[in-house]
Amino acid sequence: MPGKIRKRSPLKPPERPYIALGLEGSANKLGAGIIKHSPDGSTIVLSNVRHTYITPPGEGFLPRDTAQHHREWAMTVINDAFKKAELSIHDIDCICFTQGPGMGAPLTSVALVARTLSLLFSKPLVGVNHCVGHIEMGRQVTGAQNPVVLYVSGGNTQVIAYSQQCYRIFGETLDIAVGNCLDRFARVINLSNDPSPGYNIEQMAKTGKRLLPLPYATKGMDLSLSGILTSTEAYTLDKRFRFNENSREGDNDNIITPADLCFSLQETIFAMLVEITERAMAHIGSKEVLIVGGVGCNERLQEMMGIMAEERGGKVFATDDRFCIDNGIMIAQAGLLSYRMGFQTPLAKSRCTQRFRTDQVHVAWRA
Amino acid sequence: MSTIEDPSWHTVTVRVPFASPKHASIAKQAIEVDRELQPQVVKRTIEVDDDVLVATFKTLTVRLARLTVNAYLENVDLVVKTIGEFGEEAEHPPS
Repeated sequence: MPGKIRKRSPLKPPERPYIALGLEGSANKLGAGIIKHSPDGSTIVLSNVRHTYITPPGEGFLPRDTAQHHREWAMTVINDAFKKAELSIHDIDCICFTQGPGMGAPLTSVALVARTLSLLFSKPLVGVNHCVGHIEMGRQVTGAQNPVVLYVSGGNTQVIAYSQQCYRIFGETLDIAVGNCLDRFARVINLSNDPSPGYNIEQMAKTGKRLLPLPYATKGMDLSLSGILTSTEAYTLDKRFRFNENSREGDNDNIITPADLCFSLQETIFAMLVEITERAMAHIGSKEVLIVGGVGCNERLQEMMGIMAEERGGKVFATDDRFCIDNGIMIAQAGLLSYRMGFQTPLAKSRCTQRFRTDQVHVAWRA
Repeated sequence: MSTIEDPSWHTVTVRVPFASPKHASIAKQAIEVDRELQPQVVKRTIEVDDDVLVATFKTLTVRLARLTVNAYLENVDLVVKTIGEFGEEAEHPPS
């Protein structure tokens, strides 16, 4: 839309420094971060501490055990965050925590700590939508103005665009998330979960040589991934499948290795993501793409998205694993933005919810 | 249909002493926000009696009583840990 007038931001520059603590624990990462908004408009990350619950190869993380992990590590992680920031809890303005979406038990554990701290120190609570946290931190780190956001993680896959104080969902997965698809395939071929199954898939895919046919399942603006996972798994039962890489040598090169499957899986699902993102860009007329969420630190995805954006004369914005993968600082950032607009979560409404859509949030701080 | 007054329901009372009435009240407020997962078969009341946190559970089955009390104690444990770690600091604001 040419000639569109950019409205002035409703967020006034802070008259004094604002500091917020962010607590995140919606999945297997427990994070605490402290952020500072200064009167000169700058945003400083004072600390960003994370501890990940890593399960043995072949196993995923279950809600109960993940909650147990968060309970065990909460004090250490919060203490570390304040030590690194060289602050006391008395110095902060508000305590931000993830209110959803995510796994119920881990969310509740972290919220309980947030509530207790809020009552002990008489600090206001700010409940934050996890997805909005990712978007706001991505915007802050990369400086993207009005991007189409591709949010890809272990639990979510959404293409999002901002309009009228709301992050609107243009397309999303109809079944499982991209990260879930990759993680579960990592389990099938027994890859390590350290540092993350997605990272290990990415490394393995680099040695893949064959692009095997897999279903390509975009459904308009949405996509479906569970069938692709099943098809990829089915290849491991194919008689050409060799678990050992080195058996490619010799006269028979018609074999399938785990690396080939990682490569084919990545190429297929990332191509689908690029397609729906491109359609959203064409629709809203934006030339910027922002990739957030845990899968967003996959360099192959960034590269493929970059090729598409370049062809459209646009640009890709992505962050590294400090801000892509779930962290406390993004919760602090999104929480502090809404706190500066006068938003607080009263104790009685601080209950967590597993279902909290990105478009349910009133984005008061954007024009 | 069973009601809460039904004698076949099971009752468990848990009394957890805190260092001060204030801490007990903090624990009550923090824990009370989360609803029971199955409110139709578990009735929970949490009260503060001086510095003691008193929780009473009425449940339909013994199994539910065990699960509910377990979950409740895990929550109390987390709150106690948090107060233990930061309670001291909270009492001494910088002048």
